[in-house]
Amino acid sequence: MMKNFNWSKYSKPIILVAFIVVLSILRPKAFLSLDNFSNVLWSVAVIGIMVSGSIFVFLIGGIDLSIATLCAFSAVVVVSVTHMLGDTPVAVIAGVLAALVVGALAGAIHGIIITTFKIPAFLVTFATQSIFLGLAMVFTNNKIISCTVPAFTAIGAFKILGFPLPVYFMVIIALISWYILRKTVYGRYVYAVGGNPTASEISGINVKLASIVCYVLSGLTTALGGIVLASMTQQASSGTGAGYTNDVITAAVIGGVSLLGGEGTVPGAIFGAVLMGLLNNGLNLMSVPSTHAGLVKGLVIVVAVAFDAMQHADQSRKKVKKVKKASA
Amino acid sequence: MKKRAIALMLTAVMALSLAACGGGATTTREDTAASSGAAAGGSSAKVKVDPYAGDEVKIAYIAHDIGTPNNQGWKEGIERECASWSNIKVDSYGAEESAETQVQIMTDCINQGYNAIILQCSDGTALAPSVKQAEEAGIPVITVNLDCSSDTIHSALVMAVDYDAGRMAADKMAEQMGGSGKIAIIQGVPGLERTDNLEKGFRDTIANYSGIEIVDAQSASFQKDTAMTVMNSFLQSYPDLKGVFAINDAMAEGAALAAQSANKKGQIVIWGADGEKDALAMIESGDMAGTIYTNSWDEGSTAAKIALLMIGSEYDYTCLTATPKVIMEPIVVTKENVGTIAEEDRW
Repeated sequence: MMKNFNWSKYSKPIILVAFIVVLSILRPKAFLSLDNFSNVLWSVAVIGIMVSGSIFVFLIGGIDLSIATLCAFSAVVVVSVTHMLGDTPVAVIAGVLAALVVGALAGAIHGIIITTFKIPAFLVTFATQSIFLGLAMVFTNNKIISCTVPAFTAIGAFKILGFPLPVYFMVIIALISWYILRKTVYGRYVYAVGGNPTASEISGINVKLASIVCYVLSGLTTALGGIVLASMTQQASSGTGAGYTNDVITAAVIGGVSLLGGEGTVPGAIFGAVLMGLLNNGLNLMSVPSTHAGLVKGLVIVVAVAFDAMQHADQSRKKVKKVKKASA
Repeated sequence: MKKRAIALMLTAVMALSLAACGGGATTTREDTAASSGAAAGGSSAKVKVDPYAGDEVKIAYIAHDIGTPNNQGWKEGIERECASWSNIKVDSYGAEESAETQVQIMTDCINQGYNAIILQCSDGTALAPSVKQAEEAGIPVITVNLDCSSDTIHSALVMAVDYDAGRMAADKMAEQMGGSGKIAIIQGVPGLERTDNLEKGFRDTIANYSGIEIVDAQSASFQKDTAMTVMNSFLQSYPDLKGVFAINDAMAEGAALAAQSANKKGQIVIWGADGEKDALAMIESGDMAGTIYTNSWDEGSTAAKIALLMIGSEYDYTCLTATPKVIMEPIVVTKENVGTIAEEDRW
């Protein structure tokens, strides 16, 4: 019975549980509380939201380097529009919609340029990264614009059943994105395009359109991430979301998403984000000084990812054995 | 004929140096044209000019990260100081938080023959050779808040108090906490002299209060959102936490938001240091307990004044045995006196 247990399928939850057990033993009082779990999820919510969309881009073998600055620009848009329309709840809704439109447009532009001119996504998003940063700077006159309109700050702080709204956003967006990738034809197309674009083209998939939609989804979630982040910090500036490009890509890769395309799942990417959140939380709760934190963090990630990869390698070895047996 | 040849050559030099500057793809540049006139070419010999007598002068301001309120405050201070003279031009550069980029911008500015450079020196060791090179080329360098390694003598350093700011915050916090309780510190990036001194001043002073214990110190890299996460874990680890000292205001604001979200608004004595506009508003609303305010506009304008003084003067760094300093007046701000800081002094 145990022999046939599919370890690889559960290796990620096992790592998380192991983590939680270790931290619970080391810091039972501080770690094992609803508040703390809520904090951990809250701290990874923005990354979770963003990675649920950018995973589409990663799956087709693309990359988005503009995540952090598009996040900043959409944060700036939501706050500026809210201020422009008089800080009413309606203005907040308009601001949110405007920021989402900006995100979707940015994604569409990425997709169109990349597929039409056949320029590597790396280059295009590297250039637009700078453009979005520039736009955020121009719009804000390079200042921090704060926004304490209650309807706006509620997006990041309002709590339902002990968990703040961003956590629910993350769960909902992740579920939608999981559903699209798993249950729809379009989802199969995405994996196919990432696995082999030429074969997909020949088999009648509109590769161009499929790819553009991937970038639009990524732009949308990035914008949503920006909105949530601006609301959490009650401000927006060109510096909003600094470092998030790295965090999002790291979360995806830790979660088993291949940057070469065709491989990876939404739960995997969310696992990556939560693992990083738990790790940061653990380091903070254990009072690890910042001089040592980087070292510990790196080591733990290597061990966790190696464990995960080992299980997968094991599984493919078993498969090979099975096939060999069958053909013998 | 000869004149034309020289003019052509100068134009070529200018074009080249401009191209060199444009090459830095990662740098951001903001033009604030107080004048549209062309400025001096790429000559490196020190030619004394008088900025107050109509000579064309251009000043470069090189920030570590131009997006922060402090950097914007300095930038605006410098621009305001120079705005009255149309012959003085200020160019601002942001190095996107990279010391290497700052070195590159320094080189570009030296080649372009700026008359003075105002520098937020993010890495004292990395930038020391550039500062030396500029001074040797006759370009006075005025550093703001962060200085290069002390053996590199240059025109001036304008700074906010560091060690003493920590000391003042500690004394006032201890008073607000009634002389007892647990304190946690939220740090920036370790290794920056100014913030390290700030923390040291704070720790040394808190040591005098036997009832107060510093229980933890974690870095939030000067970021507001990271500080919220760090503060959340402090609240978990130390339910009886009474005070938080953040090395800058952005992090103190983040800590205050986290406390607010945990329904502990006003129950924890949260301090920052800088005195930016949003922090002052949070002190007014009772979310934060205090900060050490420095007038960043004034600081920038002071740096600009010294730059203009050095450009127009006969003496330079060679007659100095140490870098002269101007230290800005610190103001301890709490709810009682926050109203005395006028709207036009809030940067």
